[in-house]
Amino acid sequence: MRWFGFGFNAFGQIRVHEKLMEGARGDAANDVKVSGPTELASKADRRGCCCLKTACQIRASWSRRASLHFDSDSCVCLAGFVSSEAWSGLPLRESRGCRDALISESCLTLAFSDRLESWDLQKEEKTPSWSMEITPPPESSGPSVGLPLVPGGYIATKPPLYRSLSPQLRAKSLALSSEHAILLSASGAVYTWGLGSHGQLGHGGLSSEEEPRAVEALLGMPMSCIATGSWHTVCISDGGDLYVWGWNESGQLGLPSRGLRKALQQQSSQQTGALHQDVGTSPAEGPQEGEQHEEVFISIQAFPALLDITPSCEIRSVSCGCRHTAAVTTTGDLYTWGWGDYGQLGHQTLISSDEPQRVEFFREQQMQVADVVCGSWNTFAAVVKDEVSCS
Amino acid sequence: MKTVSSTATLWSKISAALPRDEEEFPLQFGDKVESSVVEMLKRCRRQLYSDATAASRMLNAQIVVDVSWEKLNTGTWRHVDKEWRRVYSCGCLFKVAALCRDDPSADEVVQAVRTCDMGLLMGADIMDDILQVIVRILQGEVRKPTELEEESEHTEVKRMKTEIPRAPVIKEELAIPRIKCPSLESFSTNYLLPLKPVVLEGTIGHWPALNEHPWSIGYLRSVAGCRTVPVEVGSRYTDEGWSQTLLTVNEFIDRHIWNKIPELKEDIRPPDYCCLGEGDEDDITVNAWFGPGGTVSPLHQDPQQNFLAQVVGSKYIRLYSPEDTDKLYPHQSKLLHNTSQVEVENPDAERFPEFARAPYLECVLQPGDVLFIPVRHWHYVRSLELSFSVSFWWS
Repeated sequence: MRWFGFGFNAFGQIRVHEKLMEGARGDAANDVKVSGPTELASKADRRGCCCLKTACQIRASWSRRASLHFDSDSCVCLAGFVSSEAWSGLPLRESRGCRDALISESCLTLAFSDRLESWDLQKEEKTPSWSMEITPPPESSGPSVGLPLVPGGYIATKPPLYRSLSPQLRAKSLALSSEHAILLSASGAVYTWGLGSHGQLGHGGLSSEEEPRAVEALLGMPMSCIATGSWHTVCISDGGDLYVWGWNESGQLGLPSRGLRKALQQQSSQQTGALHQDVGTSPAEGPQEGEQHEEVFISIQAFPALLDITPSCEIRSVSCGCRHTAAVTTTGDLYTWGWGDYGQLGHQTLISSDEPQRVEFFREQQMQVADVVCGSWNTFAAVVKDEVSCS
Repeated sequence: MKTVSSTATLWSKISAALPRDEEEFPLQFGDKVESSVVEMLKRCRRQLYSDATAASRMLNAQIVVDVSWEKLNTGTWRHVDKEWRRVYSCGCLFKVAALCRDDPSADEVVQAVRTCDMGLLMGADIMDDILQVIVRILQGEVRKPTELEEESEHTEVKRMKTEIPRAPVIKEELAIPRIKCPSLESFSTNYLLPLKPVVLEGTIGHWPALNEHPWSIGYLRSVAGCRTVPVEVGSRYTDEGWSQTLLTVNEFIDRHIWNKIPELKEDIRPPDYCCLGEGDEDDITVNAWFGPGGTVSPLHQDPQQNFLAQVVGSKYIRLYSPEDTDKLYPHQSKLLHNTSQVEVENPDAERFPEFARAPYLECVLQPGDVLFIPVRHWHYVRSLELSFSVSFWWS
């Protein structure tokens, strides 16, 4: 499995450029923003490790990237803003044997079979800043859940770290932003809670919820995959359809964004009249094509909207950065949309987009994208070589 | 039009306002600001005092602005950590420095003014209000001749004045009492303590805004035209199409008139009566309200005492006591629970039957008048013509 990254690289979390780290003059501009897919180092770098040839997962925050290696000797390696020698590049000794990992800007959370540990990335000390024992669930209780879900609850983004969840929810997966949460249950139902001021809870309003509340608009339609950005939420149905809701200020919902058009117009210094701003409230249906004469802009979508990624195709997995979204189709294509100022959309430009666009690089290289994981302002895609020649 | 020497002076003026060197430039932030962000700030600071390309400086400054902007939009505004607002201001400062360093074009200077304004609006005080100092320097570069404008503006204002739409006749038995220059004691005893509304006459005649610098469109343009301010768009904030946006004063005047600035603050003074409250002078929130005739503030209440001073134009105002809240049908939602659902001058008697029975007081506020709106008193305002008011919220 090979990984490619693009987007924000000011700390070398995608590729390292020697001059970059000194912060002096120089055209680091090219390297701070990596606008086209770049393969992550797969050979031993000068520090001696991080081999990405083995099956590997990626997790990324704003300034760092973590590679999770799951084989007989599983471990986590960090790249990006890592200051001390002991922590950079080499597999973290502290992480050996871990089953799963999560990275935020301030800490690295590791899940072991018998315990959880949270390591403070600011202080880089010898012991975890927080830990908790867990009783491994019995073999028969089904597939184990991934972070931030843990037996009986989940690990939050701020203290108190461990929060319990009702077993009635039958949590299968969980996605968190700093202010809201979405939970996918074994039945395919989706629950949201937290701050709702940008419509990110999908209940049709702007109010917040303290407890998990089912997203009624999607009841009866089982979901299979969920993801959150800072202010938006995305999920995929069993049938491969994509539903989006929340804030659309950078086009991260893939719906027409007035804020985006305005910013693009300012860049090309054109003057147009003010366009009507709309708050989308219709459930389950995005704006139709063909309504070109009076375009409706959506800055907040408070109900789930179905997003048609043209040409029609099934979505296999999705991930969100702060203000952008990336989706992989069952045919191995990667589509991105939303904020693109740092190259995180991967189209060799620094332009944001409110329409899903295919990352042509992978097609050109005849690569099938198998998975995608977003950091705050960047995107990482896992590819397998396309064995069958395609048209 | 700028000559080479004048732009050199611009950077040296700005440079003089900045700390002398890296050591003197403070970058201390609380725990909430992650070390990676502090690292980015340090890169910016290093570039400020050493050789770097303009592109690189802009890039790093913009990274700081972008990452702190995201924090400012996370959670509720009142819970945003002040440290992040300071980071945002620092980012704006570095961005302004990058824009103005190497022979900036007129457009770059305007961008720099806007960046200062964003830092002042959304950020928090850094380095003794350095953004304020810098924006003053920049404004000096942007000032345009206004004499011709002022004259044509003036006649247009005159024309507007003769077409006052629907100026209500105030019924004597419902009129808010008027008193000329009461003593502190008299105001306190008769109006503040019993929370009774009153119109104070003759208390702001000394304001420069009414004397040396009469607030007119032309004056506004010359003092603040290029500055960015928050604007409410839509005739009332309960309308579906209502929104808030950021515009420069010039843009606002051009688009919405026809054709959080301290210079204007010099032209007004907080009423002496504010000292009767418990808060400091620094705790008085001053807001300027500028808008065309017909602008309506729907019936609502505020959690502080309010002096509403009228500077230009007139406003029709109606007041309801908090005791009658049950007849005013406030919205249920948390966001709007201090706002009534009733359209005061066109109430729906079927949906809001009790409203007609709610007693009220009313007035037409003229230039020079100050209306005391006691805390939590419901108030409805309609401007009768182009209007400029200043409100003082105090406790």
